[in-house]
Amino acid sequence: MTLVAASAVPSVKAARAWRARPGLMIAGALAFCAIVYLLPMLSLFGWAFQGQGSSGASLAQLSRLIGDDTYHYAFFTTFKIAAITTLICALIGYPYAYLMATTGPRLAMLLTAAVMIPFWTSVLARSLAWMILLGRKGVVNEWLTGLGLLERPAALLFNSIGVQIGMVHVLLPFMVLPIWSILSRLDPGLPRAARSLGASPAAAFIHVTLPLSLPGLAAGATLVFMFAIGFYITPALLGGPNDLTIASLIEMVVRDLLDWPFGAMLSLALLGLVALVFACGAAFAGAGRIAGMEGR
Amino acid sequence: MTDRSGLSRRSILLGGAGASLTIASPFVHVTPARADKGEIVVAGWGGSRTTAMREVMFTPFEKATGIRVRDDGPPEAAKVKAMVDSGNVTWDILDTDIPAILAMVNAKLLEPIDYSKLDKAKLGKIPPVLHHPYGLGHLIYSFNIVYNTKAFPNGTQPKTWADVWDGVKFKGARSFPFRGGLSPQLEFAAIADGVPADKVYPLDIERAWASHDKLRPLVTKWYANHAEAIQLLSSGEIDICCTIGPRGLVAKKEGAPIDVEFAGGKLAPDNWAIVKGSRNAEAVYQFLNFVIDGKVQAELAKRIPYGPSSQDAFAHLSEAEAKELNTSPDNLAKQFWTDIDWWGKTAENGKTNNENQIERYARWMVKRG
Repeated sequence: MTLVAASAVPSVKAARAWRARPGLMIAGALAFCAIVYLLPMLSLFGWAFQGQGSSGASLAQLSRLIGDDTYHYAFFTTFKIAAITTLICALIGYPYAYLMATTGPRLAMLLTAAVMIPFWTSVLARSLAWMILLGRKGVVNEWLTGLGLLERPAALLFNSIGVQIGMVHVLLPFMVLPIWSILSRLDPGLPRAARSLGASPAAAFIHVTLPLSLPGLAAGATLVFMFAIGFYITPALLGGPNDLTIASLIEMVVRDLLDWPFGAMLSLALLGLVALVFACGAAFAGAGRIAGMEGR
Repeated sequence: MTDRSGLSRRSILLGGAGASLTIASPFVHVTPARADKGEIVVAGWGGSRTTAMREVMFTPFEKATGIRVRDDGPPEAAKVKAMVDSGNVTWDILDTDIPAILAMVNAKLLEPIDYSKLDKAKLGKIPPVLHHPYGLGHLIYSFNIVYNTKAFPNGTQPKTWADVWDGVKFKGARSFPFRGGLSPQLEFAAIADGVPADKVYPLDIERAWASHDKLRPLVTKWYANHAEAIQLLSSGEIDICCTIGPRGLVAKKEGAPIDVEFAGGKLAPDNWAIVKGSRNAEAVYQFLNFVIDGKVQAELAKRIPYGPSSQDAFAHLSEAEAKELNTSPDNLAKQFWTDIDWWGKTAENGKTNNENQIERYARWMVKRG
């Protein structure tokens, strides 16, 4: 009896310690993050700023990045593609999310499934599927020429059209879901109140619904933009020489040229730009919403 | 006394060993002394290539020597670098191409090959151009004009690089490699511009790039890996492709409307290379001596249509089989060898020609866009 009691005491004490300092409970998770994310990140910094031989720090890689406009072009292309993708996703995603949030439960379910099912398919498989659909002898061109709408097959592949179609398809769920999450929790009484006070449906939407859903739109836009900046497979498969993104060049520098210091510098520059975008989005929509941890 | 106790201890030990031997004897036949002979790890490309190698090289070698062969891969330079840098080298032999070898030599990741440890007679059957200090050519690939037979039936295909560069006489979408560790195809650009194939090296870089500029508007897709190129060819998305001839032949055998023009092709070896820090040097050389044998290479060539490096292999192959291999005497005469030394030469900026041209390729691609 006494033995059992004695051994029980420390475990109770331990439990009290956890309760007193709940921070301890996430120590394991923090350690995991430190090892898996922080350490590689630090070695990335190390590579990017290491000097020749073992002689301390150096800004050589940074000045190379600043001096070589090949990489500036690639950054510009990457941002251009990301911006266009974000815009198209917003234009398609907002009405879609609006319909999802306001329609009956059966159609809403169907619309949700239509967004989510491709979301669960591999990006590579989807990009390859687009190659089959959009090609010179692909399904789309066969139909268009078969119906007499086009005389010759249109160039839908290996240019920015192909890239945009592929990327919008892959990234659309990241736009739809945050907007839908806001719209579906919007008090339907608010636009109704506006209508009852004499506003037209359009005015009610513009002055009530749209402003209230802007944080969702901002969150979606930030997510889509951030993912698009780091996109690699889709532009590489569906794009042409004008769609060469910075991710492709980083891959070349790291894997083909084995120039890890410069690759690290390019990666850090990309990371910095993504962080900047996140900060802008966070200022507008709140960081929690973008990270998917919105408070209710 | 001491003597006796010593003796008795020894006899006890001997007796014990004898007893355990007797007990273990039924198992001795089941587990031969393989573990003692060690193991080597060959990093290759997987797929049908590794399957074929397992069948004609690894398993027969294991049977002959008792040394186990494990396969792993893919033998990417970045992976080797991570291994050597961390001091945890688990690969012994790589099966890889020259650009990767040059990059790895520059990063000091490879062990030089000691040619004195290789069988002179077998080595003599392999063209000297393939005896690189850090890689012994064993399986030959080639960049060839690979074309869709629906677009170019009955021998109407482009037969020279000048034809490929001629968008008026030969209509159709072109595809050339870019990225994936591949250097720009400057030799073909120079040849298309009128440089004879045997005078391509040392490359007139500026002349080649000027010719390469003319190719740009003809190219529909700059592909990043060869499987993609073959896919584009067989779906008819591309009509003319500069890609690996043997891969085209694999697709042809599977029924794709694809064929290969060997004329003007650029031959290049996949090589056996030894990773720095490999601990099984003796087994490695035993393995190399086994697999550079002409008969073994011929068996491999029957399974995958890459050219055997040993000319002795053709003594074991039929005429029909030889016709589809890029290193058969007839096909060899139509093509030229990649100049490994030129691509590996260090330029003024301390980088190799290969590295400089890969970088210039990216610059060319981005800025002219």
